[in-house]
Amino acid sequence: MKIATLAILLCLSRAAASAAQARPSPAPDDGQWTMPGRDFAGTRYSTLSAITPANAAQLRPVWSFSTGVLGGHEGQPLVVDRTMYVVTPYPNVLYAFDLTEEGYPLKWKYRPDVNPSALGTACCDAINRGAFYADGKIVYNLLDGHTVAVDTGTGREVWRTPVAQIALGETMPMAPFVVDDHVFVGPSGGEYGIYGWLKALDLATGRLVWTARNMGPDSAMRVTPGTFHPFYDRGTDLGLTTWAGEAWKRGGAPIWGWLSYDRDLDLVYFGTGNPGPYNPEQRPGENKWTNSVLARRPGDGSLVWAYQFTPHDSWDYDANAEMILVDLVIAGRPRKVLVHFDKNGFAYTIDRSTGEVLVAEPFVHVTWASGVDRATGRPVMDTSKVTGASRGLIEDICPSLEGGKTPVAPAAYSPRTGWFYVSTNNLCMSFGATQAAYITGTPYVGVNAPYTAGPGGHMGAFIAWDAARGRKMWEIREKFPLWSGSVATAGDVVFYGTLDGWFKAADARTGRLLWKFKVGSGVVGCPITYRGPDGKQYVAVYAGIGGDWFLLAGDVRSDDPADVRPRSDFASDLARYTSQGGIVWIFALP
Amino acid sequence: MFAGAVAPPAADLVNPFAGDSQSAAQGARIYVDMNCDGCHGGGGVGFVGPSFTDGRWRYGGSAGVVYHSIFYGRPRGMPAYGGILSPTAIWKVVTYLHSLPVAADVATEAW
Repeated sequence: MKIATLAILLCLSRAAASAAQARPSPAPDDGQWTMPGRDFAGTRYSTLSAITPANAAQLRPVWSFSTGVLGGHEGQPLVVDRTMYVVTPYPNVLYAFDLTEEGYPLKWKYRPDVNPSALGTACCDAINRGAFYADGKIVYNLLDGHTVAVDTGTGREVWRTPVAQIALGETMPMAPFVVDDHVFVGPSGGEYGIYGWLKALDLATGRLVWTARNMGPDSAMRVTPGTFHPFYDRGTDLGLTTWAGEAWKRGGAPIWGWLSYDRDLDLVYFGTGNPGPYNPEQRPGENKWTNSVLARRPGDGSLVWAYQFTPHDSWDYDANAEMILVDLVIAGRPRKVLVHFDKNGFAYTIDRSTGEVLVAEPFVHVTWASGVDRATGRPVMDTSKVTGASRGLIEDICPSLEGGKTPVAPAAYSPRTGWFYVSTNNLCMSFGATQAAYITGTPYVGVNAPYTAGPGGHMGAFIAWDAARGRKMWEIREKFPLWSGSVATAGDVVFYGTLDGWFKAADARTGRLLWKFKVGSGVVGCPITYRGPDGKQYVAVYAGIGGDWFLLAGDVRSDDPADVRPRSDFASDLARYTSQGGIVWIFALP
Repeated sequence: MFAGAVAPPAADLVNPFAGDSQSAAQGARIYVDMNCDGCHGGGGVGFVGPSFTDGRWRYGGSAGVVYHSIFYGRPRGMPAYGGILSPTAIWKVVTYLHSLPVAADVATEAW
């Protein structure tokens, strides 16, 4: 606390804004990392401060572990009670390592039974985005649609619940989120014509408590009369009336990103993904609530407000990126906000009590819209960028469908600077929509969308963002798109990784690169930091390129020797810089 | 090659349309209509699912084995189309897949 206060005082040039912004993270930091975003607000901020810009160059690896799995190592390990928990991509093995002993020996290992059929239903590699610790259990999802809870003491399965159905095109790479007695899970499958939902399971038993759909009639969406108050929309059954016919029944709206929770407001926030199919002409209307943020009561799931970032999506702009909950001073007024870096290229600062958009500015190069109309909440679109099967190939759409920021890579927030630290992509695309046919459990997409690098030629940048004003504060340009999450610390050091296999530390205030280490494979995971049993600060991250990249870069995919592919046209030299491999790394000062 | 060294009957199946270009064209249409391209890519170049143009086959590339792969599905995600497509339609897809040109130099890397 003292250190944080001192640093704020030293930062007088931004004193007016920062002092009010600089609220400590909601829960006291015990040095653990028990949930994906570190805290319920999803800040990925740690008050640990031993690693500083002055000493970060001395960081060195202290431990590494091969997971034995190839493919995209997304998400993050957990550190709870002197134990590190690691979930691998399919086959979703869970490891528990004892951090009190030399070499961090294995305490136990849990290998679930996962249906390999799920491999053909996961659009973008057999990834997993991590686990959640609650009440003596590690809770996580299996690719084939089960949620499991494992006892931390024994490594035994406590319960295992079938939640998603691969026969319907649903898989479950996302990390569960736990509030009190409820475990929240959602499906991937925006490319398979799913009917998206959020389910609440009972933490003790795994039993299904309720299901809330992301579209459809109010009854299915758990819209309770008198409690649903979207800021910009009026009317009933909006999840039905903003669609033509029964298109909503296979309209997508997956939940493959991150959730957050405000205990004072008692609201859970999460983003929904793209409408299906990609060809917008097959689904007239705004297609609510795809590409939206939804605020629900964790107890009964009732919907309190919702806001749609990209109505009638023409570009696959999922809104699954994290909703980070912070308190900021905006136009002289303290506001409880939610900050979200959307695939559509705009960074939104939203009043999290009401859903009112307070700030919406592009954080990357954007061509599909000139801004967001504050009166209506709608984007001001360039209609020449609207796609459709009858419109042919539409060119120069920025950002690409990979997103100005991928939801795979959650941002971090430092209350000391008042800034967000964000992995961004500088990519544009052409988009040729095609007619798609719905066959249950098979791809329902309809697009050909080649990518190009955006202005400047670099494909990624790690940026600091002032969400109160909607301004970029600094950036570090990267050759390739950025696919790793980030972590911010009270030592004013931020960490991120690159697709070409570097793990890097930067000065949170200046963006100066402090240290880097080659971790053996591209980084698509999220770094964490924790206090070890010896009292030292550690930083951990997964290496292991995958996710989209193993599809896009062609011969990066090396796990199947019978499936050697020519390099892709896009980022064709990525395979010169990295190959697959799943490794857990831990770093510390000497 | 086969468990128990007994070839499954697929190996003996004969494609009634082998080499017929009209059947291949019809198969190409079925390939798109049934969303095969969603996983295996337009032109069979591979995406989430394996390529059909690299000359390599996970489960075998003879007409009968490819027929079986489509009819019964395969464990790593290939759905079973036996209840959806008629045997004639499946054979036309097989004919299409076998009509695809196999690139000469995709088997290895040298760069």
